[in-house]
Amino acid sequence: MPSFLADLLFAFVEWIRTTWMNDFAIWLSNTRFSLFFSEHWYMIPSLQTIHLLSISAGFVSVLMVSFRILGLSGKSLTVNQTVERYLPWIWRGLCGLVVSGLFLVISEPIRDLVNPIFWPKMVGVLVVFAASLWFARTARANAGNWQAGEPSAGVRAASVGIILLWLFVILCGRWIAYAPV
Amino acid sequence: MIIETLWQQIEGSSLGTYIAESEWAFPTFETLHVIAITTVLGTIAIMDLRLLGVASANRPVTDVSDDTIKFTWAAFVLALITGLLLWVSKATSYMVNPWFYAKMIFMAAAGANMMVFNLLTYKGVAAWNNSSEVPLAAKLAGGLSLFFWLLVLFCGREIGFTLGVYQAS
Repeated sequence: MPSFLADLLFAFVEWIRTTWMNDFAIWLSNTRFSLFFSEHWYMIPSLQTIHLLSISAGFVSVLMVSFRILGLSGKSLTVNQTVERYLPWIWRGLCGLVVSGLFLVISEPIRDLVNPIFWPKMVGVLVVFAASLWFARTARANAGNWQAGEPSAGVRAASVGIILLWLFVILCGRWIAYAPV
Repeated sequence: MIIETLWQQIEGSSLGTYIAESEWAFPTFETLHVIAITTVLGTIAIMDLRLLGVASANRPVTDVSDDTIKFTWAAFVLALITGLLLWVSKATSYMVNPWFYAKMIFMAAAGANMMVFNLLTYKGVAAWNNSSEVPLAAKLAGGLSLFFWLLVLFCGREIGFTLGVYQAS
């Protein structure tokens, strides 16, 4: 990564170390609950596998809906039918991500909580949730219109935006392992 | 052994050393690999769940296949390229790692399952295209596909934790 970004991230983690989050992460890492996960070799890879499965469900559902909105794929269903088919799986994917992610943080608290890329990822996750809620509401309000016609330019732009948001979160997720700490 | 020299030469190639020494290359290819492999798995799961009668049960099987297969292949090619680039940079470590072999075996099994489905079962799709109840062979193909890909994912994660554990002798 560019050195100014590495410097910025390093300064951020140095600041995190001065806050209560540092003590909390150390305390959590010594609890029996945390040790149970980190001491069984198959636990963290299994949780990560569930995490990846949840990305598959959520991210691919977003892709299917977005490509239908953009008119690139899935034309045998209306936009509204596509939303009905995949929106529940976006929520299932997001729930799976939060639950498996929570267990991953409990398994390796210091690696995650005292990490300058983990927190931008969490902001990304919150924005993904907000954007998905907004999209679900917009889809409900437009159920009739989308049955016959095509979504507005705003909704089309938003569908690209939501894909980019997911990519940002996935990117941060992988780079947590390479953060300057 | 001669084959081990080959892995060493691949790892020591200019591409291999570049990826291994670069600060950005390995994590960037890993990130693209994650995006690719989750897209492969997600789009395959849509088809598998249709075969199992869990989702899209009211849609023609051929429509579900047409909607997903192009993304599956595009993402698979990306996963293959990024996977190869990751492998080149640490070829000797991957080639002594049992989880790497397990991953390749389960991927071959997933591929064989898909070939059997395409060459035999899917030929008769016209008879059950619009039915939520598909033949047992098709259901089995859907279930096995999910099972094998899940194992591919798990082995892939295990590789990440064991790359330094197994050493070339």
